[in-house]
Amino acid sequence: MQPLVDFWNAYRSTLTFALVNSFFALSTYAVLSVGILSFATVTFAAFGGFLGVRLVLQTGIDPLLALPAAAAAGALLSYVIALIFLRLESHWMALASLALILITRVLIINVPGTGGVNGLSVPVTLPFFMFALVLLVAIIIFWRLSASWYGIAARAVREDAAVASTLGIAPRRIQTVAFVISGAVGGLGGMLLALALQYLSPDTYFVNIAFTMIAAVVLGGSYHWAGAIIGAAVFTALPVIAQAIIPEFQDVANGVVLLLIMIFLPRGLIDPRAIRLHFAARKAVAQAPRDATSPAAGGAP
Amino acid sequence: MDLFLQQLINGLALGSLYALFGLGFGIVFATLGILNAAHGTYASWAAIIALAAVERLNLPFIPALLAGIFGGGLLALVVDQVAFQPLRRRAGGGMISALITSIAAWIILDSLAGTATGHQSLSFPRDSYPDTIFFVGGIPLPAIQIITVLSMLVVTVSLHLLIRRSRFGSAMRAVGWNQTAASLGGVNPRYVVVITAFLAGATSGFAGVLGGISTNNVSFHLGEGLMLKGFAAVVVGGYDDVRGTAVAGVALGVLEVMTAQYLSSGLRDGITYALLLGFLLLRPRGLFGSAGFSRA
Repeated sequence: MQPLVDFWNAYRSTLTFALVNSFFALSTYAVLSVGILSFATVTFAAFGGFLGVRLVLQTGIDPLLALPAAAAAGALLSYVIALIFLRLESHWMALASLALILITRVLIINVPGTGGVNGLSVPVTLPFFMFALVLLVAIIIFWRLSASWYGIAARAVREDAAVASTLGIAPRRIQTVAFVISGAVGGLGGMLLALALQYLSPDTYFVNIAFTMIAAVVLGGSYHWAGAIIGAAVFTALPVIAQAIIPEFQDVANGVVLLLIMIFLPRGLIDPRAIRLHFAARKAVAQAPRDATSPAAGGAP
Repeated sequence: MDLFLQQLINGLALGSLYALFGLGFGIVFATLGILNAAHGTYASWAAIIALAAVERLNLPFIPALLAGIFGGGLLALVVDQVAFQPLRRRAGGGMISALITSIAAWIILDSLAGTATGHQSLSFPRDSYPDTIFFVGGIPLPAIQIITVLSMLVVTVSLHLLIRRSRFGSAMRAVGWNQTAASLGGVNPRYVVVITAFLAGATSGFAGVLGGISTNNVSFHLGEGLMLKGFAAVVVGGYDDVRGTAVAGVALGVLEVMTAQYLSSGLRDGITYALLLGFLLLRPRGLFGSAGFSRA
């Protein structure tokens, strides 16, 4: 039992951050799953986080009650952003969302109530199991969504928006919904990050979150929601592991691992297509006559 | 009035740095189609290499500058071959894969730069660069600012001539448009890509060394600052035209300095990023970009 307790004490904060990062990854995945590369998650997180924290500081309500408020704030902002940004072509949209993050930081510094450059200390937090519980709720929602009409439509839009619209799917509407989901989850993640860090500064929500989260999603696999969570976990654990093995070069190790995965596993760790192909191949082997060494069996790319 | 003129000169010099950096960033974006998050580190490393050349090897200004520029170019070449070349062999993926490998390269190079400088902000020794200050009508005009503006002009004109008037430039534009079609036309895309990456790294490295001298700051923050502003210059200017980048970079520099002087220093970055977002939303091809240039 003792080793478990030691492990828990040593890595509780790492686990908490892995959970929080899962929200950012899920938020990034939500838009990526309809074929949009957007960094706006960071802006939604900042909006949700600062609004939620102000709410707690101002009214003294339970931080748990501030979570829905942060999610709603993120969703509202993302709807407005979607109306403006979805008119842009995909790569311009990615750049515009990057510009949005840069502006967010300037706004945080200049708008009163955010603590400006000095930052804002957050006097409340949540127990670990609450973080896990909220993530569980998010996972259930993503799981149900992926099997719903929306999930199927989202996959169609991602593969080919033109084909999707000939099937009676309105790509713009699906993408707007994706943005709102991304905003709600991002706002929630922003508030949870504030509660985990217990401190907010203009640099809390900046380009580095956007980049690591995109990397986490692609690393985990951008074709399934589980990929986002696995990716976030790996990306949170990597620095800790590297810290233990080669302390002076932990960031370098992170970068090298990311590079290797991207080059050798371009579709990520969780890849539904590869898993399906794997099972299909095994089935083919089972059904094929014993003597025939069918090339189809080994044909899964 | 003197204050205004002096700030105008400061703005021009700062803007020239943004422009010079943006030129390198823009070539990679327009020709290789890569949004390269690691580009800022080329500038940081070029400055670190030049500083090492000055301090360890006691080289004079010009050779140290050249060492920095060459180092930046070489670094860009290595990053391109290690992080981007494996992706080119596979179909699809496109911008996202390259963006992520560039993030990986950025993490690696940034942390190595942090280690190399001991996580401090270093600066060039006073006697290692021309630090004369000319006075024109009572307005101070540091030599390094004049060098920065002139270098930017020379590099812009040469790059423009290279891209628009030379055979190699035609090959670059062809590869930027469509690699397969370019190779059908007798262009070796790999060769063009390697040279382009080197040129881009060298140009941004140039900005890094000059920026390191004029801001008295050689650290990994140097590249990060240049990167964000250079990116804005590329988008505002129109990324398939180097003249646009130069004009936009200088304009952004002047605007920033004037905003900090006459409005509020807190809005300094805001004005650049607001312009960046405004252009992306309303005129994505930028000031000088050609219509219909798009990369699928």
